[in-house]
Amino acid sequence: MKDLSFIIIDDTELDHFIARKVITNANSDFHIESFLSAAQALEYITDDTNDQGIKIILIFLDIYMPLMNGFQFVEEFEKLDPKIRKKYYIVALTSSVEASDINLIKSYKSFRARVTKPVTADGLKTLLKKVSKE
Amino acid sequence: MAEKIKILYLDDEMDNLTGFKATLRLDYQVFTAVNIPGAMEHLEKHPDIRVIFCDQRMPVKTGVEFFEGIRSTHPLPMRILITAYTDIEAVIDSINRGNIFRFVKKPWVEAELISAIEEANKFYQANSMLAIKNEELQKAYSELDKFAYSVSHDIRGPLSGILGAINVAREMYDIAEMKEMLFLMEKSLKKLDTYILSMHDYYSLQRGELQICEIDFRKMADEFKDIYKVFSNTSNISFKVNINQREPFRSDTIPLKLILNNLLSNAFKYQSKNNDAKLVELNIDVHKGVATIIVSDTGIGILGNHLGEIFNLFYRASSQESGSGFGLYNVKSALLKLNGQIEVNSVLNKGTTFKVTVPTK
Repeated sequence: MKDLSFIIIDDTELDHFIARKVITNANSDFHIESFLSAAQALEYITDDTNDQGIKIILIFLDIYMPLMNGFQFVEEFEKLDPKIRKKYYIVALTSSVEASDINLIKSYKSFRARVTKPVTADGLKTLLKKVSKE
Repeated sequence: MAEKIKILYLDDEMDNLTGFKATLRLDYQVFTAVNIPGAMEHLEKHPDIRVIFCDQRMPVKTGVEFFEGIRSTHPLPMRILITAYTDIEAVIDSINRGNIFRFVKKPWVEAELISAIEEANKFYQANSMLAIKNEELQKAYSELDKFAYSVSHDIRGPLSGILGAINVAREMYDIAEMKEMLFLMEKSLKKLDTYILSMHDYYSLQRGELQICEIDFRKMADEFKDIYKVFSNTSNISFKVNINQREPFRSDTIPLKLILNNLLSNAFKYQSKNNDAKLVELNIDVHKGVATIIVSDTGIGILGNHLGEIFNLFYRASSQESGSGFGLYNVKSALLKLNGQIEVNSVLNKGTTFKVTVPTK
């Protein structure tokens, strides 16, 4: 599938493993990039030469991370060139049940969806349906 | 004997001041002033003045006006107005504007002065206690908030990871893949376990009483050498220990070990991955009743702008290794209990040095 790929940003290796597994179970052709730190991921997407002509790239972004957390990442993301931004579809990934977090996520227009950890096959299916409709 | 209560008396008549001082100086530390600048000078110099007496009839300002003026700048001392005449207007005025605690009628009787001071002192103490308790409560509340937030992430995070893994495992048939996942699950559980142990440290530091005993730093260092031997060997990090203790030292073992353990485990944990000469050094020097503990490493270092925050609860300056955000906060709490100090020096990609000083008890 050439028009959809994934970036996972999470500081927990196990969560990477799970997300990767759930995504490849859905379709083993999906391309996935993994980053343990938000700063590295930001560097990667800022560098436009990484473009492989993929139409939409789903970013699974963990919220609670040291140094640069999910919110800080999105704030930096929103400063990027619109040409870069429009390729990405950011999904907030959270294990939190904190209302303050959930409200904060809603307040950023760059968070297009929110998924509760752990990522499941059903959760991914619902998300992909939502993405294809938009 | 407890320190004498400090009181200040402002009156434009020198005779009154002299008489007042002569009457009370044995039991209290009495400051007197003939004018407002003089009184202000005493208040600046002695912020712990508890009771202020002031004559109502003075040339520039009345006593009530003086009290009204210092209400916001010096809210703590209790205010007592000395007045020769008592008309109801003056009384109302003084209570409303000057927030007066009591009146003493001129000429005063010694017993009346003393009872006014003692009563005022009780109020002062109750008020200060309340202020201290309030501050402690504020701190406790704000930490509780941080805790609630952290619990929902740091405890729920690993748990939801494990649950996710179990879900994924239902459709996993490759043993190698399964083993890889088990390894990651174990890592997450260990992180959770560390978090809970540190939380226990946090709690015992906040609540426990000190238990002072003789400290033998050599013995203590040997214990740490044993603990870190495996880690030092498998990760190829040299561990140099140098203890110089020629005098007895008294302190509480538990917070002291907690400090050492946290600093050492950080030093071992945050090493540069591609450094060939990895080193952790522990130097302890006991001199004239002060133990100076220096833990230095050849690790990744800490960025200058994070240095101010590393001692904050749940603050983490690196994503390289799993941390709970408790460690250095607990170190600081432990030092607070032992009246110790900590300094940190760090150069990015070169290493970090922590210097701790603790006085003997």
